[in-house]
Amino acid sequence: MNRVLLAAFLARAEVRSALVGLAIGLVLALVLPSLPGVGSGLALRTLTVCAIYALAAAGVGVLYGRLGLVSIMQIGLVAVGGWATLRIYHATHLPFEVVMVLAALVTAAVGVIVGLPALRLSGLSLAIVTLMVAGALEVLVTYAGFPNGGDGFLGRVSGGTLAVIMPRPALGQSDDEFFRYVGVVVVVVLVLLRWLLMVRPGRTWAAIRQGEAGAVSLGINTVAHRLLALAVTSAVTGVAGALLAASSGILDPTSFKAQQSVLLFATVLIGGAFSLLGAVLGGLFFYGLPQLLNTVGLDGNLVFVVLGLGLVQAVTTAPAGIAGQLGALWRRLRPPRPPRPSRPSRPSREVTV
Amino acid sequence: MNLLPFVVAGLVIGSVYALSGVGVLVLYRTTGVLNFAHGAVGGLAALLVWQTVELRLQPAVAIALGIAAGAAVALLFGLVAGPYLARVDQLRKAIATLGLALVLLGVMLFVWNDKARTIRLETSRISFDVGGARVNVTQLVCLGLALLVVVGTLLALRYTSMGTSMRALASDRELAAVVGTNVRLVENTAWATSGAIAGVSGILLADQTRLEPAFLTFLIIPVLAAVVIGRFVSLWLTLVGGLAIGVGQSLVSAWPTVSAFSTAVPFVVATVVILVATRRRVVTVGVVRA
Amino acid sequence: MSRLTLSGITVRFGGVKPLDDVSMAFESGVCGIIGPNGAGKTTAFNVLSGFALPVAGSVDLDGDDLLAVPAHRRARWGLRRSFQQEQVVRTLTARENVLLAAEHSGSPTADVDRALDYVELARPYRLGAELTMFERRLVDIASCVVGTPRLVLLDEPAAGLDPAESERLLGLITRIPEEAGALVLLVDHDMDLVRAACGTVAVLDFGRRIAAGPTLQVLSSPEVRKAYLGIDEEVTT
Repeated sequence: MNRVLLAAFLARAEVRSALVGLAIGLVLALVLPSLPGVGSGLALRTLTVCAIYALAAAGVGVLYGRLGLVSIMQIGLVAVGGWATLRIYHATHLPFEVVMVLAALVTAAVGVIVGLPALRLSGLSLAIVTLMVAGALEVLVTYAGFPNGGDGFLGRVSGGTLAVIMPRPALGQSDDEFFRYVGVVVVVVLVLLRWLLMVRPGRTWAAIRQGEAGAVSLGINTVAHRLLALAVTSAVTGVAGALLAASSGILDPTSFKAQQSVLLFATVLIGGAFSLLGAVLGGLFFYGLPQLLNTVGLDGNLVFVVLGLGLVQAVTTAPAGIAGQLGALWRRLRPPRPPRPSRPSRPSREVTV
Repeated sequence: MNLLPFVVAGLVIGSVYALSGVGVLVLYRTTGVLNFAHGAVGGLAALLVWQTVELRLQPAVAIALGIAAGAAVALLFGLVAGPYLARVDQLRKAIATLGLALVLLGVMLFVWNDKARTIRLETSRISFDVGGARVNVTQLVCLGLALLVVVGTLLALRYTSMGTSMRALASDRELAAVVGTNVRLVENTAWATSGAIAGVSGILLADQTRLEPAFLTFLIIPVLAAVVIGRFVSLWLTLVGGLAIGVGQSLVSAWPTVSAFSTAVPFVVATVVILVATRRRVVTVGVVRA
Repeated sequence: MSRLTLSGITVRFGGVKPLDDVSMAFESGVCGIIGPNGAGKTTAFNVLSGFALPVAGSVDLDGDDLLAVPAHRRARWGLRRSFQQEQVVRTLTARENVLLAAEHSGSPTADVDRALDYVELARPYRLGAELTMFERRLVDIASCVVGTPRLVLLDEPAAGLDPAESERLLGLITRIPEEAGALVLLVDHDMDLVRAACGTVAVLDFGRRIAAGPTLQVLSSPEVRKAYLGIDEEVTT
């Protein structure tokens, strides 16, 4: 019986594409630094940060694509994760992995507290409230700064004292190693997220997305499960904050402006909110595109224009985003297979990583 | 501490929030689009005024030009995206305007960079003393204009044929179309009107606060809070909401220990309102799904 | 033998009363609620599933006060419901749809395959989006019988089906009481289906109960024919 179930499980398109994604992700994470041209310097550091933001993008994508929830505060939550990481590290000097988990929990708590009141109303009110939080967090972060080894709750050094930098994790000291470290963490977190989408919470979220009344009559506590989704995605975003803090050991408030949250949301919709591949693309657009524009001598602010237009286009005409279009292309190009009636059929779906 | 100056400043800013909120509300009720780009449109109008005044244009002409630009940008978006937006749900409509906000912000940052500028309207140079608080004419204009626009909008909605059509669209789109309302014309009028209001409020806010693209773009936050207080329906409550948020922010900023948190006021107020609104809501779930 | 009693149920939306002091009792088997459009049939179901809160009245199933149970806890309590517009989740497989119903009603997952066998759905690993209307209706029924349901509400379960499919669905519905031990309430406009499935019916008109009793007897009473079926229409038995 269990083997039949396992075979049916492995036969599902989403499971196979998830395994393919896992393999590709791990290979990229481990091999990319040794490629010529990528192996060192700015390009690798940029890719590292792109991979980190892919996590924040995945959070946005799961909320929007799986539950239809709009969260425009994700960069603010990255800042919360980063702040918690630095704060906890300077207070305890625990190993980075422990600090990262604690920071994820703190971020999850913040996400839940913010979402709690808005979740009871329409989706529009969550969008409004999260935009307000993005604005409020920007100011709070600018006011409080990030802990750098000083005293007090805010942990800021003052006067002539030198700022203390949080060291990178033991397994990721050099840029190469740190990229691999980030890559593995990102792949592991995305795999966990993918797994969550395929088991009970994912099923429940799909039912909620389809219709509130149907979900409630199945016995689903819709508010509790939306909160669970907020907690999970906020925790993932908190991990992004922790990795970002580890990247340079210190954070700058100017990287966490409210418009960055809007920008991240746009990249996720353009990349495709229904699959985690879209999230990875979103991370690339979000951090990679401005860097690319800068290197070719264009004003990085044009990113806003490009991604803004992309967002309007994604909302009005291409709801599955680039990942969805890639998926459709792949299905068109693939030769049709003869049906095998003896096995459970393979449902065709968006390519999901 | 004499709090009167803070109250006056808060009332002034709050009245512009309310003014801006009226534009958001009219557009939302008529087209179903909650315009997150409202602040960005205002920012663009203000920067155009600054630019044209720099080019030695008459300030009055420059202001008219800025307001017209606001109306034109909003109308253009309504013309281009409107037909597509009519087919998607409210959440997507709102998200699409986030795209517009990004585009406008990008244009502003590209053309004018993010340096803080100031525009000083002529009317701001004339000021007088009210109970220990300096009040200038621009501030009186802000207060008067907000009241005027609320009353004017109410009257226009009630007594003009365009206003009647807007109310018809707000209550039932399909029905309005069936009985022969020119839906596109009414919607385009709403876009242009709301864009012009965004332009006026953007210019006033730039005078009262600072002329900075991202800052003006995100002034949509207190404006939305005012609209939330108005429950997305009431012009009067939106006015009250705007004033309350303005005064609230101003008073919080009066104390140095908490002044950094003044931008959190809209969030707190809107959250409380949403909580209260939730409690009053009867538990009804739409059973039929399309 | 289970007994469901609605006593003095009144629902008010603004100035409208979709249900006005309605009392009905149903005893085991398949029972029907019929009435013209706007009579309050779906509102009655909404009261039972917790989507509409009555301003007065009570609902009792074998001594349990149903109104005291929050809407999302009623599945665990033993309530199942299908909608006029079927709610099969398109992005999940047929089996996952039934699994979802099992998980959130606290039923053992082993019951899922039993429920799928009951409706004889072929290839349950297809997505909801790939199923035919009839297959989606089967999934709905499977979700309703999974676990140990006590009260099953079916809102026009045969809407959009052809006569042969309706016939098969009818067979499944009439077997639910013995198969799952639940009381089944059926709302439908299809009089042939109601006559074939329901031993007893209650008739609603403008939010009031105007008749109740054995199906054939009720359908042939002059009052019901006048209010609901139209006086000219011939009711054949």
